[in-house]
Amino acid sequence: MRSKLRRSILYWLVLLPLVVVILFPFGVMFVTAVRPRAELFVYPPTWGFSEFRWENFSEMWEKTNFGGALLNSVYVSVTATVIALLLSIPAAYAMSRYHFSGKGAYRTFLLMTQMMSPIVLVLGLFRLMMALGLVNNLNSLVLIYAAFNMAFTIWMLQSYFNSIPRDLEEAAWMDGASHFTSLVRIFLPLAVPAIAVTAIFTFINSWNEFVLALTMMRSSADYTLPVQIYAQVAGRYQVEWHHVMAATVLATLPVAIVFSWLQRYLIRGMALGAVK
Amino acid sequence: MSSVTIRGIKKRYGTLTVLHGIDLDIEDQEFVVLVGPSGCGKSTLLRMIAGLESVSSGSIAIGDRVINDVPPKSRDIAMVFQNYALYPHMSVYENMSFSLRLRRQAKDVIDRKVREAAEILNLGKFLDRSPRQLSGGQRQRVAMGRALVRDAQVFLFDEPLSNLDAKLRVVMRVEIKALHQRLKTTSVYVTHDQIEAMTMADRIVVMNAGRIEQIGTPLQLYDTPANLFVADFIGSPSMNFIHGTLHIGASGAHVQTENGTRLAVPLMASGRDGQKVVYGVRPEHMTLTEGDAGAPVIVEVVEPTGANIQVYCKLGETSVCAIFTDRHEFRPDQQIRLTCPLEKIHLFDAESGLRL
Ligand SMILES: Nc1ncnc2c1ncn2[C@@H]1O[C@H](COP(=O)(O)OP(=O)(O)OP(=O)(O)O)[C@@H](O)[C@H]1O
Ligand SMILES: [Mg+2]
Repeated sequence: MRSKLRRSILYWLVLLPLVVVILFPFGVMFVTAVRPRAELFVYPPTWGFSEFRWENFSEMWEKTNFGGALLNSVYVSVTATVIALLLSIPAAYAMSRYHFSGKGAYRTFLLMTQMMSPIVLVLGLFRLMMALGLVNNLNSLVLIYAAFNMAFTIWMLQSYFNSIPRDLEEAAWMDGASHFTSLVRIFLPLAVPAIAVTAIFTFINSWNEFVLALTMMRSSADYTLPVQIYAQVAGRYQVEWHHVMAATVLATLPVAIVFSWLQRYLIRGMALGAVK
Repeated sequence: MSSVTIRGIKKRYGTLTVLHGIDLDIEDQEFVVLVGPSGCGKSTLLRMIAGLESVSSGSIAIGDRVINDVPPKSRDIAMVFQNYALYPHMSVYENMSFSLRLRRQAKDVIDRKVREAAEILNLGKFLDRSPRQLSGGQRQRVAMGRALVRDAQVFLFDEPLSNLDAKLRVVMRVEIKALHQRLKTTSVYVTHDQIEAMTMADRIVVMNAGRIEQIGTPLQLYDTPANLFVADFIGSPSMNFIHGTLHIGASGAHVQTENGTRLAVPLMASGRDGQKVVYGVRPEHMTLTEGDAGAPVIVEVVEPTGANIQVYCKLGETSVCAIFTDRHEFRPDQQIRLTCPLEKIHLFDAESGLRL
């Protein structure tokens, strides 16, 4: 018992620097977000604040177009995630279960697309969206985010699908299930953990993406959150840091919520792995 | 319940042929065991009957109905997989009732059938558990139960006991056999364990490298193996083989071994004088003898098992195993003389491996 305690303490000591590095910016963000404006630049800096100003949030919400940007971000991230999943689940299933010529080449191709950053392609993408008439349209972001995340989601899903024994589907067929029924009642329920992980990944990627959103969206009504927050800082004489930080706190929240909601699937997924 | 008729079945993967034309008639209510070494194509044949592998050529019929192109779900066959393939996200009850629910049977009918099967298999206590909360033997029984509730025409088993420990395997072996005697459903059972095959089968099909070597009842295979492969495969420890030349004279026949020992053999119509042959004798048919009779061998290793004594000896360069139920005393390097009743001797042509 004692040695276990000692080991825990040791682990925490080793992890501490990491925890500090990760939590420090969050601390600064949170403290700044709830401070009155007058206390923004006190010297020496402190962690305290004289009052907890909820008003920072409501002021920020009103002065900037935060609500609109939030809706835009939700729309883009959710739709991109759904599209990416709808397309990559069948693709990954086919890669995992069927033989077809060019399968290896296709996998390599997917991997190679991962090596290219979308930023390198930003000009080409912009012209493509021009041609499609989608500039200044949130759907351009939906398309791009879905497309750029699919290589990863297909790889991720395929490797998980490979670990789901074929026997289970075969047993379902023998039990009288059609391919579709066995897919819906046996296969997909078992694939939920992988689907959840890829969903989280795609959602967070889309939520945080900045450069493409800045390029494609011209009018401030179409800004997503990262662009919106950037607009509060860039090219201004006076930056309302407490508002910026309040916006940042609110922008991180949905990610945290999505993650904590889906993480129980992660844990269940690990437990499922115990059954052969 | 129904018969299964297999005609000229071949299976190719690209250029690789794994089944070279299988013909097999399985009668209604019969329990047939497919046995053979790893990779010989047993699972492939079974999966073709199930509809999980396509048929390259030939035909498979259940009753009078050719089912080559019938999808697995419509074949009315139940299968027990080697690793059980229980649905991990369903309880035991849901696992067992899955097929019935797919057929949209009434709730009370489903419930009655599942409880009946659970009763037969002693699973009553476990119906609400999930598969991961069961032991290997219990999972195995659930897999059986899933097949049982269906009243399928044919049961297929692919090495269902190979993941169990030795003791449990014997128990389940008896249970499966008892179950078959009660339900009488036509069954095809794959194993590479010849003891399982011998104890469970009405008829055994011995396979090797994609071909059938012999089909027969367990005792037929034991008493008159058609060739060296079957002779070697059936029986444990396996049959002793001694290479030599057949000599047929006026007074009788004998086999002259490579080290010059003469082994008396019965006169056989199909043997030629001077033919290269393999002399086969099972360890349990060897007896000790005194004087000039029998073959002189040198004792190497003695293994008492309690029920009997297994003695490993050398006849020239050839290893020979003998089993005695009497408790003789043997020392290593001791010379003993072994003999065998003429009617227990098997002779095979050395070249073709076929029985003479
Ligand atoms: N998809 C495949 N592609 C190519 N060859 C295959 C394929 N599936 C099986 N084989 C080959 O077919 C042969 C028969 O395989 P099968 O699984 O039927 O053997 P088995 O008798 O069941 O062996 P075991 O006792 O090890 O289960 C093997 O040599 C195997 O390598
Ligand atoms: Mg097999």
